[in-house]
Amino acid sequence: MNLLLALSVAVLFGAGTFLMLKHDLIRMAAGVLMISNAVTLFIMSVGLSRGQAPIYPLEEGRPISDPVVQSLTLTAIVISFGLTSLLLTIIYRVYTLYGTLRGPDDATHDDHEETTSELLAQRTRDESPRERSQA
Amino acid sequence: MTILTKLIARLLLLPIFMVAAAVLVKGYAEVGDGFGAGIIATLGILLQYTALGRDEARKLPPVRVAPAIGLVGLVIALLVAVVPVLRGQAIMTHSPAPGAPVIHLGTLELLTAVAFDIGVFLLVFGFAVGAIDLIAQAHDEEIEQLPDRVTDQRINEG
Amino acid sequence: MLLLPLLIAWTTAVILALLDGRRRWVGWLAIGAMTTVFAATLRLLLDVLQHGSREIVAGGWPPGLGITLRADELGIVFALVSNGVLLIALIYEVLEGVHERAMPALVLFLATGLTGLFLTGDAFNFYVFFEVSMTTSFVLATYGQRQREIRAALIFTVVNLLGSVFFLSAIASLYHLTGTLDMRALTAAAGTLEQNSITLTAAFLFVAFGVKLGLFPFHFWLPPVYRDTWPAVAAILSGAVANIGSYGLLRFGAEILSRELRLSAGVLVALGTISILYGALQAISVRTANEALAYSAIGQAGYILVALGIGGPVGIGAAILYALINPLNKTLLFLATGLRGWLVGAAFAIGAFSVAGIPPSLGFFGKAALFQVGIADNSAALVGLFFLGGALSLIYMFQIYQRVHWITEKQEQSSSVQSRVLVMGVAVLILALGLWPEPLLLASQRATDMLIGGR
Repeated sequence: MNLLLALSVAVLFGAGTFLMLKHDLIRMAAGVLMISNAVTLFIMSVGLSRGQAPIYPLEEGRPISDPVVQSLTLTAIVISFGLTSLLLTIIYRVYTLYGTLRGPDDATHDDHEETTSELLAQRTRDESPRERSQA
Repeated sequence: MTILTKLIARLLLLPIFMVAAAVLVKGYAEVGDGFGAGIIATLGILLQYTALGRDEARKLPPVRVAPAIGLVGLVIALLVAVVPVLRGQAIMTHSPAPGAPVIHLGTLELLTAVAFDIGVFLLVFGFAVGAIDLIAQAHDEEIEQLPDRVTDQRINEG
Repeated sequence: MLLLPLLIAWTTAVILALLDGRRRWVGWLAIGAMTTVFAATLRLLLDVLQHGSREIVAGGWPPGLGITLRADELGIVFALVSNGVLLIALIYEVLEGVHERAMPALVLFLATGLTGLFLTGDAFNFYVFFEVSMTTSFVLATYGQRQREIRAALIFTVVNLLGSVFFLSAIASLYHLTGTLDMRALTAAAGTLEQNSITLTAAFLFVAFGVKLGLFPFHFWLPPVYRDTWPAVAAILSGAVANIGSYGLLRFGAEILSRELRLSAGVLVALGTISILYGALQAISVRTANEALAYSAIGQAGYILVALGIGGPVGIGAAILYALINPLNKTLLFLATGLRGWLVGAAFAIGAFSVAGIPPSLGFFGKAALFQVGIADNSAALVGLFFLGGALSLIYMFQIYQRVHWITEKQEQSSSVQSRVLVMGVAVLILALGLWPEPLLLASQRATDMLIGGR
């Protein structure tokens, strides 16, 4: 891994971290995406070589690039695509529920709200098992 | 959006699909992939969304059935992975095996790997277009506070 | 045979994704599918305990070239516990009434991801199944779709995405250093590597699995998420998904990078001690039951880390045993917080005794193994720490019990009979395993031997 690639990974990772710490949720998602791309570039840097592409038919005598690294990179890109779109969908949900795209401010202490378990358990119910409409 | 943008967006859709199909079918032996093809096709649909708006874009047939397309792709990928196990081989063994003779359709070789790539293409396309359609709602409509009602119903009804 | 749990789970998950999960019959179909997966895992476990580990290479490629799927003693016993927890949580949720379309399919997709993760022998395949499991658990965390759940799901998603990128970079650097991705080959090659290059990789792996398990100082996401999600989902997260963290620490720490584990023993023991004390003290001081259980989960993870740090056959055996007992406890406790009635209170009390380590519940054997670790290390401080942790957990468990189940002024109706019976059934299972622990002890002993002897 040469110096340019290492610097690129570092710059991307740092920029992504800086964005992740912002309050706006879209910027946070962009930070996550940038960090994923930094790691993808890091994976690519494992297979740096000047060989020929690992696709048949191959020439004799020349070294071949490592195909495993390229498949690792592709898998990482696909996975981060899926996860980023899931993250954006969750952010969309937060937007429709809260009406704003600022990050949730204080995530830990909400003493006045009851938890879901308490609400579920405090409902009044009959003793008999509930009847649901048969499908 | 100017009229020129809308015109070109409408015109570009089918060529983008052609490029996606080309990337898809040459993926087993050249640079190309089911995932890349799915992303290119999704970009074509995304262009319709941004240039023409959600209502116009929803009139396209692929957008209307996008979740079903995704599920079909998932089933194809599942079949390619599972059918070899039912035949006694390891999971996701491609037929024909390396070195065996292959049926050609022109210059395209018919392998189960191509079927798997098609499955991945349909899956990525269906999933991404479905997600884009969902998020496009937030831009075009007024969104009220939705689903406290679903869970509160269950908590309150008993 | 090796692939049977994975394929059944995957196929039925796709079928269930096409159906509407809110209907009664679809829920019961999902329970049937999950039971089949559990039975297949159990059969595979018996086969592995009798004949040794099983391998198959995906795609029919020669071994070393293709992706190896391997069921050895460690992986299969974790797969059994995780599938069992998923089955229990799915039955609970179907009995209570599913109200999202995709929930049974999601539980089966999670079963696919977890089974594949525990039964793979390739490091990158581990990452792929890791991401499958995490994606489905991100979606499961939004179950309920109110403000609380969505906020919890957002925190959960972002923090675990960070953990995943750390894990991915660690895998990439392992491949760079050794040139292979197969776990057996990695174990053989890792011992010969120069220390400077591999220490950072080991640290990244520890961060990734620490985030997953909820160790101090990576625990900040746990309390809001466990508190705000639906009870069945909290049971799934703490009883099935957190197993990824402990299994990863055991596989990548105790097996592949065992030299780095030995070198970092002091740090691990220190972090584990802080986790135990922090979790227990915070659990005493918070007000809601779910939050106390979340901090309890942090504390229990600390025990696993301390045992892993001490190392050796005794330490790793205690870590494995505790990592298998803890999910059952947590499942019972989280499911019991959503119900009311004196039967549920008794079940909760049994779960509380199991966490504190009081016989005849199953947790006693976990705690006994930990005490053995302390004695084998000739360390009075460790024995005192474990005793203190047990005493503190008894305190906060009793607090929760008193606050939740012992109030006699409020006339609350009991919850539905079926759910109460289910929760009591899990409690009886914990008691029964506590009275007859030989199978679990044998399985964990074989796993330990495989880990230690394989080096």
